[in-house]
Amino acid sequence: MNNAFTDIDPVYFEYAQKYIGRFMPITSEELFDLLQYCEIRRFDKRVVIVHEGEVDNYLNLVVKGLVRKYLSVGKNEVILQLATEGHVVQSEISYLTKTPSMVVLETLEPTILVSLTHNKMEEALDKLPKGERLGRLILTGMFIKKDENRYNRLLKTTRQRFFEYIEHHPHMLQRVPQKYLASYLQIKPETFSRLKALYAKGRK
Amino acid sequence: MLDQVRQFINQQIELTDEEFQILASKLHPVRFEKKTKIVDIGEVATNVYFVLNGITRRYFFRGRQEVITHLIKEGGLMGSVISFLTGDPSRYILETIEPVTALGISKNDMEELFLTDKKWEKFGRKIITSFFLDIERRTLDNIKYSTRERFVIFMKQNPDLVLRVPQKYLASFLGIQPETFSRLKHLMVKEK
Repeated sequence: MNNAFTDIDPVYFEYAQKYIGRFMPITSEELFDLLQYCEIRRFDKRVVIVHEGEVDNYLNLVVKGLVRKYLSVGKNEVILQLATEGHVVQSEISYLTKTPSMVVLETLEPTILVSLTHNKMEEALDKLPKGERLGRLILTGMFIKKDENRYNRLLKTTRQRFFEYIEHHPHMLQRVPQKYLASYLQIKPETFSRLKALYAKGRK
Repeated sequence: MLDQVRQFINQQIELTDEEFQILASKLHPVRFEKKTKIVDIGEVATNVYFVLNGITRRYFFRGRQEVITHLIKEGGLMGSVISFLTGDPSRYILETIEPVTALGISKNDMEELFLTDKKWEKFGRKIITSFFLDIERRTLDNIKYSTRERFVIFMKQNPDLVLRVPQKYLASFLGIQPETFSRLKHLMVKEK
C-alpha cells in the first residue's frame, strides 16, 4: 500500500464504519478498501477550508474537531451546519456539480477530516464490488436527512427547535459560542438566552 | 411519450437502447383527474411518476395551513419520495392541480432493477442527487434572497406556472403571504 491509510487509526475507522453502517452493512475489509481512496487532512482552529466562490472538491467525515458551514447574507452569517465527530460536512452543491461554492466551511477547533475527492469517489464507486450500491444508499440517506431538516424548519416553532436540539446535543453549549447556535437554530440571540435560562431552570 | 422519458434520462446517465427498453418495460401509464390525491398523509407511497402532462403540488399541514413544498409539471418526477424510499407513512399529500398523465414505476420494480446491474444503482444515485440538489438550492436561496428577490426570480423562471397555478399556491410555495404576493405582482406589472 502506498498511502497514509495502511495504518489506520482505529478511531477514524470506527467513525467511518458507524457512518456508513447507517446506510448499509459493511465489513472491516470493505471499509479498509474504501479508505484507500481517502486522504487525511488536518487543520488548525479558525481555518477556512472552503471559501465562497471556490469549488469544493472534498467529501469530508469529521473524525476530530468541529466545522461550521455558513452562508453570508449581506453582513450577516447564517450557520447551516455545525459538524462534529462522526458527521459528514461539505459544500454539497459545489462538490456534486463542480460549481463555485455559495457557502463557507470553517473549522472552529483543531480538526481532522477523512476526505474523498470527487474523482476518487467516482473511481471507488465504480471499482469496489458494492460501490455503486453504497453510493446510492449514502446519497439517499443524505437526501432523507435534508428533507427532514427542511420539514422541521418549516413546521416547528422556535421553542421546539431549541429544546430538541439542546436535548440531542447538550455538549454543544460548551463547544460553540452561543451566537453560532442561535444562528444555526434561526433564533434571535436574546430569545436564545431566554430559552437557555428556561432550560437550565427545568433541569434543576 | 417515451421520447420525453429518454430525454430526461439522458441528462442523468447514458443508457443503451437495450437498457432503455428494460426500463421502459417497467413503466406503467396512469391518468389522474384534477384535484386527485395521489398520495395522502399516512399512506405509504409505492410509486414514483414521470409527469408527461399536467401539474401536481406536494404539501403538508402546519396547523390548518397548507405548506406547499413542490410544484411539479411535465418533464419532472413526482411522488412522496421520502415515503417511497423509506417505506414510512407519507408526511405529505401529493395532489393534482390539473389533470395529469404520467408514467409510474413501482418500488418493487425499481428494487429489482437495482439487483440486476450496478448501472441501475448509479442511475438511482443520479436521480436522488437531483432531488438532493433541488432541496439544498432552495434552502440556500430562501436564506440568501429576500422575499422580493425570490418572487422576481421565480416569476422570470416560471412564466408558465404563473398562468397555470392558483396564486395562493404560488404564494405558499414561495413562503410569502398571499397579500404580499399580490402586491409584488402589481409592482412587477407596473415596472414593465
